[in-house]
Amino acid sequence: MASIGLRGITKTFGDTQVLNAIDLHIADGEFLTLVGPSGCGKSTTLRIIAGLEAQTEGDVEIDGAVVNHVRPSRRDLAMVFQSYALYPHLSVRQNLATPLLLRDLGFWERFPLFGALVPGRRKKIETLGAAVRDTAGTLEIEHLLERKPGQLSGGQRQRVALGRAMVRNPAAFLMDEPLSNLDAGLRVHMRAELSELHRNLGTTFVYVTHDQAEALTMSDRMAVMLDGDILQLGAPDDVYQNPQDLRVAEFVGSPKINVLPGECDSAGRLSCLGVALERRLAKSADGAISLGWRPEHFTLHPGETSECFAGRLVYKENLGADVYLHAALADGAHRLIVRVTPARAHDAAVGDALWLDPDAGRTMAFGPDGRRLALAEDDEAERVV
Amino acid sequence: MVRSRAHLWFVAPAIILMIVLLIAPIFVAAALSFTDYNLGNPGFNWVGWKNYESLTKFSSYKKMFTASLTYVVVVVPVSVALGLGAAMLISSLRFGGEMYKAIFFLPVMATLLAMAIVWEFALHPVVGVVNDVLRTGCDIGWLHALLTGSWLGFDPAGSWYGSSCTEDFPVWFGDKKYALGTIAFIGIWQAFGFNMVLYLAGLTAVPRELYSAAEMDGASSAWERFRLVTWPMLGPTHVFVVTITSIRSFQVFDTVEALTRGGPAKSTYVMVYAIFEKGVKQNLLGIGSAITVVFLAFVLVLTITQVYFVNRRVHYS
Repeated sequence: MASIGLRGITKTFGDTQVLNAIDLHIADGEFLTLVGPSGCGKSTTLRIIAGLEAQTEGDVEIDGAVVNHVRPSRRDLAMVFQSYALYPHLSVRQNLATPLLLRDLGFWERFPLFGALVPGRRKKIETLGAAVRDTAGTLEIEHLLERKPGQLSGGQRQRVALGRAMVRNPAAFLMDEPLSNLDAGLRVHMRAELSELHRNLGTTFVYVTHDQAEALTMSDRMAVMLDGDILQLGAPDDVYQNPQDLRVAEFVGSPKINVLPGECDSAGRLSCLGVALERRLAKSADGAISLGWRPEHFTLHPGETSECFAGRLVYKENLGADVYLHAALADGAHRLIVRVTPARAHDAAVGDALWLDPDAGRTMAFGPDGRRLALAEDDEAERVV
Repeated sequence: MVRSRAHLWFVAPAIILMIVLLIAPIFVAAALSFTDYNLGNPGFNWVGWKNYESLTKFSSYKKMFTASLTYVVVVVPVSVALGLGAAMLISSLRFGGEMYKAIFFLPVMATLLAMAIVWEFALHPVVGVVNDVLRTGCDIGWLHALLTGSWLGFDPAGSWYGSSCTEDFPVWFGDKKYALGTIAFIGIWQAFGFNMVLYLAGLTAVPRELYSAAEMDGASSAWERFRLVTWPMLGPTHVFVVTITSIRSFQVFDTVEALTRGGPAKSTYVMVYAIFEKGVKQNLLGIGSAITVVFLAFVLVLTITQVYFVNRRVHYS
């Protein structure tokens, strides 16, 4: 159990800077996800925490102690790799036992043949065997113990990799895209299992993924990374409902948030493609404004009004429980994706005209630099009108 | 339905060529080994196992087996270990690796026969550079003390270097105590570059993440990571390298022909040289074929060992 702190972590490879002074504090027992598109620096951050990569500048702290010069093997962290990185020549049992052997047995005790003569070794081997059996029991892989990794399915290998990390009760788990080699169904199943495992172990988890769904479903907090910066750090709900940056808004959420160009007048009143919106900005902004709405933040209007976006249905994406309607707007340049219930979508046919009404108060406005712009409180808006 | 026989016409040329060029010669050799045929003679007699009996009976053939097996037992482990060591050193370099690769590979590219001339000159007992350098060392006090061990209080005359200083250095190719060792040294010098290239290829196939995993699991020393990851992951390469080097060592011929001609006192009388001497120089095809068959049997045993016993244990998926 440990807290992990990053202070001003910078990493450069040659001339390219991949991490720009990252600051991050991960609380003891927290499940923190680093999420971002590939190349954003999230894996590098994880490898720097592990000690497998040296930071160019900054400090890594574990439980308050700076570990910059501590070898990975002495940091008491366990890592699960995307490729699982199991030792292919060892059976599952030996794979699980390896971290314990390396930690608990001295050099001479591990020495081939000769090691068996060292007193006290047998006792250590027994406790170690018990720990392996316990871990295998927790992960339900006891029946696989004698097999080699090559004889296992992807999901089983994943469990063995988890087991190898768990078996020595590390201070924290580092996971580098552990689910991305699994098929879709198993991935969803493993999300639930990992969350449960985290609850039961109560250990700190640092989880790296490019899949925003994994970040949203599992983490206590998620850090959205892009181009070597943490753009937003917060609870999944908060990041989804209240993105502080247009790039965060676009990255988190599937299907993607709808973004349309907006205008604002001197009083901060917003309009978009000729449709006046109910809300206004707290402070008027210059330059190009972007307005965003999640697919669930629209209602279908039965007939034409001036407060609605007019469009034509081009595609119905039926997911069973929800239906996403893809509408081409009248200006010909933009599209909106709107979530509706199957019942509501039943009548709509491709080619039909749609009137889409953005929910009042759900509008997110972003400035020219992509930063979120605050909306004025409701009552103020009324006073101005 | 009418079955066409066209397929036979398509495979026939390949099968006939294979039989004529690859399989028949071995059977011919095997058949000849049971005769007393001499090239040029009008006829021959079947002599049964007589040729094979003489292989076990005469001391020159016993020396032949001793020479060949000693050569293999020395060259294979040393050149494999050196090849692995060099490959690991080179793969850990940030730059300059290509240059080292090219240099270590030079002996492989240059034909052994051409390089044998250089070695013959270098190891010449009188004008050779090796003995020259060794002799120079005798006159340098501290070096002499270091090499003879006299600085530790040993008697200088008791050591190899000390006694050689007084009695002169060995005639490398002319002394039966040193000839095979010198030939083996040249064999190692030539083979390790080849093994290094094979190991370099093997090392690139070891997943980087395994080293990270080993490090996370607590393998903090290079030796532990070598034992846990590098050595087992090179399993298929080991088998290949050891097999190839063994076969090539059994086949050693050009250095022997160029430098010692099997001598002195048959100490370097290796199998392929014996085949050449009996079958080609003396036209004794019967006994030459018998040695050939024994030679093929050795190689076959090595290959079968690889395929059936070792290969299964080193391919992990």
